[in-house]
Amino acid sequence: MKKTIYLLFILLIGSLGQAQISISNGEHNIEISSRISTYYNQRFLKPGEEERDKNRFRLRDAQLIIEGRIRDDWEYEVQVDFADIGSNNTGEIDAENPGLMDAFVTYKGLEAFNIKLGYSKLPYSRSSITPFPYSTYWQRAQIVRGDFFSRRDVGVTLYKDFWQKRVNAFAGVYTGLGESSLSGDNDASGNPEFVARVDVSYPAPMKNREIDYVHSSIPLFSLGLNGRYTNKNLPDGEAFPDGAAGEYGLKIVDGKKYTYGMDFTFQYKGFSGQFEIHQINAQPQNENDPLFLGLTPAQTEGRVLAGGYFSQLNYFVKDYNTIVSVRYEQLDLNDLNAGDSKRMSAAIAYQIDGFDAMVKLQYFNNLNDQESLDPLDWNQQIRLGLQFNL
Amino acid sequence: MKKTIIAILGIGLCFSSVHAQEIIKLKPTQKKCIQVPEPSDIAFSVDGKSLFMVSDNGYLFETDLEGTILRKADYKGLDDEAVYVNESHVYVVEEFSRKIKMFRLPDLVLEKTVNVPYNGARNKAYEGFTYNKAKGVFTLVVEKDPIYVFELNEKLEKVNEINLGDIARDISSATYYDNHLWLLSDEDSTVFKLNPNDYSVISKWKIPVLNAEGLAFDAKGNFIVASDALQRLYYFSNPENN
Repeated sequence: MKKTIYLLFILLIGSLGQAQISISNGEHNIEISSRISTYYNQRFLKPGEEERDKNRFRLRDAQLIIEGRIRDDWEYEVQVDFADIGSNNTGEIDAENPGLMDAFVTYKGLEAFNIKLGYSKLPYSRSSITPFPYSTYWQRAQIVRGDFFSRRDVGVTLYKDFWQKRVNAFAGVYTGLGESSLSGDNDASGNPEFVARVDVSYPAPMKNREIDYVHSSIPLFSLGLNGRYTNKNLPDGEAFPDGAAGEYGLKIVDGKKYTYGMDFTFQYKGFSGQFEIHQINAQPQNENDPLFLGLTPAQTEGRVLAGGYFSQLNYFVKDYNTIVSVRYEQLDLNDLNAGDSKRMSAAIAYQIDGFDAMVKLQYFNNLNDQESLDPLDWNQQIRLGLQFNL
Repeated sequence: MKKTIIAILGIGLCFSSVHAQEIIKLKPTQKKCIQVPEPSDIAFSVDGKSLFMVSDNGYLFETDLEGTILRKADYKGLDDEAVYVNESHVYVVEEFSRKIKMFRLPDLVLEKTVNVPYNGARNKAYEGFTYNKAKGVFTLVVEKDPIYVFELNEKLEKVNEINLGDIARDISSATYYDNHLWLLSDEDSTVFKLNPNDYSVISKWKIPVLNAEGLAFDAKGNFIVASDALQRLYYFSNPENN
């Protein structure tokens, strides 16, 4: 009986294989696809903690994606997540799932560079740019999931590839409000954020994928460098829009902010790995800014450093359609405070129909956050669910 | 934590070693960097003295057997992914537009364009095109989700379609040699030999080529595979002699 139910389950899901559809007149092609994922989450709380509201089923994705291309010159994309629009009725924007995920137009008709205009992912951090449906995990590493720095914004990006696509260079200017830019106005400083990235792959161009699903016959490497700068000195009495600073109060700072990071990835024979490190150098204009934690200018030297890193290893067991991953991450939200947090996550994904239908299980272990500025109320967490790209 | 990491990696290694399949792995006899950017398919000329190649960015080239460009068609296509040559014409398949373009062989001038509609994903469409002499039809192969073989008549009209199921995770090229249909899979790095009448798989071989996009046989059964990402040709001896 169990076997019959399993076979029926696989047959039903396997028949979903015909994922995206497209409409074309030969010059203009529009592709329509969708993404649905649901998981169950179980937290194992620290002693004394009683809030169990995160033990629940959650609709993570209910996305509709429309991508268009007109000959070689124009591309556009609108990606909406109805699950997030539903949950965002609370007024908060989840940076990892902001509801509107992409709405941009790209012009590729110039020799010098391509131009992307609208709301989209920022060219900062390889992991942030990498499409998440190709991951074993249910959640990105903490430092790149949108609470530490914004992942999307409204603005303009110029980009170009060189050396047969092995080198990619990006530069752009944006509101600096990140996902909160969807609310309309800029903050009272009126200043933008500048972002740039360059990555080099060798010996061949690398797609933005975490998993070596083709079992590359030769080792592939890619190194990326990112930087961003903003100066958002607010006039007296003004404040940033609600939620713009994010969970850690670092996404936007009343003053100057430099952010820089490095990412490295490799793929070979089914093994793949990612390493990223990022740091924020925040220079709030006011001595009593909360980021200074009440310390004197002599103690703070007028700046706050925050940063962290993660490293991840993956192996694609091709013959069993299974991916296993393990990730270690560290996050220090403020160098003026002694503590930091460390986490380990392991994940396994079984591909029912490639990346288009996967069962994913993620295990989180909160190794140490006792002295962190943002301690969690749990020690361990498990997330199990299904992901479909249709 | 170390135990957890070791256990997970260990499970992965065990799975991979226990289930290893008995497929012959071929080694290239030589490999050459070529001038054609992002080669997405190759075909031998009928006399076997030159190669025709198309590139992702929409160009058609004729090269010598080493990949040196001899001539280039005055044409800019949209995602060219397949090429086939007969005594009179060169056929180029555009994945983006779903069009087959017929060029006159002597001067590479575009003579005819035929639209073969397909509503699958934009980048999961036509990847292989050849002529199936056993059935007297052109064969147009869809990359994945699902892998279709469309049979076309002499007017390039679709007359039949076959779903190849889970033969491979994708197909990136098709060619006809020695009364059999041969397919190449990029994601599985595998060459398949098929019965041209019922499309059943007769044999298959693994090839160590990254992003294998083009497959062509010479008269002796030796074959060439084009690597898109590395812009290289890999030369293999006749696989049936291995």
